[in-house]
Amino acid sequence: MSKKLTKVEFTNLNKTIFPKLKITKSQIIEYYIKTAPKMLGFLANRPLVLTRFPDGIDQEGFYEKDAPQGTPSWVRTVKIHSETAKRDVNYVLCNDLDTLIWLANLATIEIHMPFSKADSREKPDMVFFDVDPEPPATFDDAVTVALLLKEKLDGIGLESYVKTSGKKGLHVIIPIVGEHVFRETRAFVHKIGQQLAKEQKLVVSEFTETKKPGKVFVDYLQNSHGRTMVAPYSLRAVPEATVSAPLEWGEVEKGIKPTELNIFSVVKREKDPWKKIFENRQKLKV
Amino acid sequence: MEKKANVPRRPIWTGSLTIGLVNVPVKLYPMIYDRGISFRFLHKSDGQPLKYQKVCTKDQKVIPWQEVAKGYEVTKNEYVIFDKEELEAVKPESDRRIRLDKFVDYFSVDPIYFDRSYALMPDKSNDAYGLLLTALEKKGKAGVGRITLRTKEYPALVHTYKGALVLTTLRYAYDVVDPQGFEELKKLKEPEKAELDLAVKIVTDLSGEFDVTEYKDNYKQKVEELIKKKLKGETVVVEKPVEEEAKELMVALRDTLKQLEKK
Repeated sequence: MSKKLTKVEFTNLNKTIFPKLKITKSQIIEYYIKTAPKMLGFLANRPLVLTRFPDGIDQEGFYEKDAPQGTPSWVRTVKIHSETAKRDVNYVLCNDLDTLIWLANLATIEIHMPFSKADSREKPDMVFFDVDPEPPATFDDAVTVALLLKEKLDGIGLESYVKTSGKKGLHVIIPIVGEHVFRETRAFVHKIGQQLAKEQKLVVSEFTETKKPGKVFVDYLQNSHGRTMVAPYSLRAVPEATVSAPLEWGEVEKGIKPTELNIFSVVKREKDPWKKIFENRQKLKV
Repeated sequence: MEKKANVPRRPIWTGSLTIGLVNVPVKLYPMIYDRGISFRFLHKSDGQPLKYQKVCTKDQKVIPWQEVAKGYEVTKNEYVIFDKEELEAVKPESDRRIRLDKFVDYFSVDPIYFDRSYALMPDKSNDAYGLLLTALEKKGKAGVGRITLRTKEYPALVHTYKGALVLTTLRYAYDVVDPQGFEELKKLKEPEKAELDLAVKIVTDLSGEFDVTEYKDNYKQKVEELIKKKLKGETVVVEKPVEEEAKELMVALRDTLKQLEKK
């Protein structure tokens, strides 16, 4: 190597992280390197929550908010006081490729991000609909509800974006201008959820009904400061090594399989459906 | 060079001190560091780091962690074998309480029993903590109780130190050798009066206050000086082998860097 391409020193590249598919840490790093051009824009300046699996996803991983000990000085962090922990938590900000590679080298599988940036934490720049099916409701049921949701949002002149959660549901996002507070986005999502519940038996909109079997919950509670969603293009710590993958609405139809959007297929996708998301920030009528 | 030990960030245990019906919620932080100089084993000829591997004594094969079990040697070369779950099941239940059943004079506990000290910090409420701290300081007493840490139960002493409550785990009586077991002691003679007077005088003349900061780790200092000298001269640089995987990563990296530049 004539010139150093990254500040990160790779370690334990051959360690198996996804035992079922025999995916090594090297492949995790490669995935995040290749996905970085699409992904970094979403992460910038957001205090991240990470799930790390240094011994593979079959062993216990950990949920990490604090920048770990030994964090290099070039990694940017932000101190935020946590009410629940009653102390300052030192969050990692991932604003560049090196930081993303560093996270991957720490066996970070999932990257979770809040809906607002570190410098304006009370003001979300996106509205989040978590379309979460409770078994026996299936991914197909989530598709039905997400399409209904899109139709409803189209009807009131709001353009929305969709991704798989990488597990069993779908996430729908509306990018918004920075003049709303979480109370408003939460109320907005709750209201839309209630309207959907009236029109479609599958849908439940209240927290108390979350665990009703066979129903799809439109979760509004996540629209709060400090709450997070799995970042677009983040891997999920499931045996199939799925990705929370941004989709075009045209791709959202019954029969699509979230497990087919995984570490291998997503890097090959030319599509970047969320590319212009922050150029399309909209105003909510609340 | 001499640095103070850092204040640890995370408690290793949370629970409460209980005295009768009174509860004092506390967090336990480590407060003892063993800071020697640590070395890494290298291959003499090329200076590359060596690593440990678990090797089967029968066929010399390297055994991965998943295939490792624990064995207790019953008689020579005969083991009873345990898997992780079995040992997990008999772990002492981590009682989240330190019951103080007695208060004693701190100085009546011989330091030979002191095992390891931990800082106790108030959790949630400060009042009860402050109250106990002040009461112990006033009486010069320490609470005696027991605590379960990881898989072991310890007798423990809760005492004050520089305006804080500190918990010191204690050794069990059977862990400490009774020196009267040594044959050498049986041959001791009663000293002559004149000799004794002289010895007592020396001890008196040299009496003073104990100050731990007067003591430095001379070996550590010397090694650190050696390291500095060596740094000016020649050191062995670890060559990271560029494995096939890392090469692939470099290809991906070049590509991504190009794409990011375009943006």
